[in-house]
Amino acid sequence: MEELLSRTGGKVPSRERLSQLAVSETGFIFDPQTGQSFSVNPTGLVVLDLLKRGSTLDVASSSLADRCGTPAEIASSSVEAFILQLGRYL
Amino acid sequence: MNNDTKKLVWEPPFIQPHRMGEINKFGRARLHDNSKSSVYGVSVVELLRRFGSPLFVTSEKQIRTNLRNTKKAFERRYGSVVHGWSYKTNYISAVCNIMHQEGSWAEVVSAFEYEKARALGVPASKIIFNGPNKPKFILERAIAEGAQIHVDHLDELQLIESIAKDQDKVVAVVLRLNFDTGYTEPWSRFGFNIESGQAHQATKMIALSSHLNLTGLHSHIGTFILEPRAYAEQVRIMCKFMRELESNEDFCIDTIDIGGGFASQNALQSVYLPPEQVVPPINEYADAICTALLEGTQYRRQIGRELPRLIFESGRAIIDDAQSLICTVVGTKRLLDGRRAAILDAGTNLLFTAYWYNHQVHTTKASEGTVADTVLYGPLCMNIDVMRHSVQLPPLSQGDNLVFSPVGAYNNTQWMQFIEYRPNVVLVHENGECSVIRMCEDLSVMMQQDRLPEHLSMPFPDTSAMARMINSGTIARRS
Repeated sequence: MEELLSRTGGKVPSRERLSQLAVSETGFIFDPQTGQSFSVNPTGLVVLDLLKRGSTLDVASSSLADRCGTPAEIASSSVEAFILQLGRYL
Repeated sequence: MNNDTKKLVWEPPFIQPHRMGEINKFGRARLHDNSKSSVYGVSVVELLRRFGSPLFVTSEKQIRTNLRNTKKAFERRYGSVVHGWSYKTNYISAVCNIMHQEGSWAEVVSAFEYEKARALGVPASKIIFNGPNKPKFILERAIAEGAQIHVDHLDELQLIESIAKDQDKVVAVVLRLNFDTGYTEPWSRFGFNIESGQAHQATKMIALSSHLNLTGLHSHIGTFILEPRAYAEQVRIMCKFMRELESNEDFCIDTIDIGGGFASQNALQSVYLPPEQVVPPINEYADAICTALLEGTQYRRQIGRELPRLIFESGRAIIDDAQSLICTVVGTKRLLDGRRAAILDAGTNLLFTAYWYNHQVHTTKASEGTVADTVLYGPLCMNIDVMRHSVQLPPLSQGDNLVFSPVGAYNNTQWMQFIEYRPNVVLVHENGECSVIRMCEDLSVMMQQDRLPEHLSMPFPDTSAMARMINSGTIARRS
């Protein structure tokens, strides 16, 4: 995550910040800090869960690639984009 | 299998913030799967395997059924009816010949379309020659061959008269009219206006000519007309004009041509409700038109004169749902506003009518994943190459196929040859066999009209060749 931060210059949310989010099984997210709510798609839900549990970007990416049967490099770049997107909202 | 190991449909992870005021009651996801794995009874996978993507698929059975039902609707109510197949709607040869086999005449609007109809073997007597630009050479041919000529403007009328003199003939002409029905935007650029007196002036010219004979009246009130009463009013105005002519001049009008414009089951972007709710059945058009025509020609029955022949030139309503476009997703992305987007191998270069219709879009396999608002882009390097600005679709992946329908009207004629080859067009025969009715383009097609002057035959001539060209004065020396 730190590497992603230095490489992109984007904001990457910390594990503590992510753990504040209330996330339902269907992908509904409530952020008690801002009062904002979000919807996350099924693959995003998987990644968010892994990140909240402290997984690294690589682990989250390979886990997602396995679950979806998609090439690892595609999963990896998509997870990176997802984390940067989280950083913009949180 | 627990939730942590269950297979997921691939879609890039994405989070969407909820914003108040952006959801409306019509923005819901569709409730049922609308995928279709076959088109006109033939598997999409098989069609793409044989003919490639993108691919236009045309149904012979649907064309014949549409045409028979439409003609029957008019013939049952009026009797003497001719359908003129509007070539500009779709002039692929096989499509035209299906129409002609069903008894339709050719309705053409240019020298090319006239020549095409004749090349297909349509007798000139079954060609209705419309359009605002009929060059002299093609008018000479059409007059010599006896086509039915519809006059658009005074200069054309004078040209026809001079050709008739040269050929020592009396040419039967049909006068194109325009007027306000009160229902549609008047198409005043075509033909002669009734309200202003232009039309009366033209009939006077014809009456004074020994080489012209007015035998018919024509008008076309617009396209995608959703109100049958507009046609009833059109026919009433034309019949009133006909009666005035027949009482004041020595004319006998044998043809009333109401043009086309019947709507198909397509969704015009400016129309709010879906086509199944707003497009009238063909019987409603036929009823409005034939009732008005029978009333408007009653005076002729009273004096024992035959009723005029009714010609209608419906294109869209006959062909639109008889053709679909299959294409392939070449990539997906998320737009900055969070919407899904897909890039397809077919764009407005092939589906020109996507600029003003929202064509139905079907996936070809059962939906998996959350249905969401999606933008569909074509392959062109133009920002306006958008096939659908907003359509509810499940997540798409590279290689997925989509079916656009109905696309039969005006796409195989208005498509653009811009940076891409145009694809195969196939016909599903009535027995289920498939054959190509227009070959896909390749480099040889694209280059066959180009001509290279000798000094431009090489893209990178060597120094000595350049020197020779400069010394010979073929190209100028640059300082």
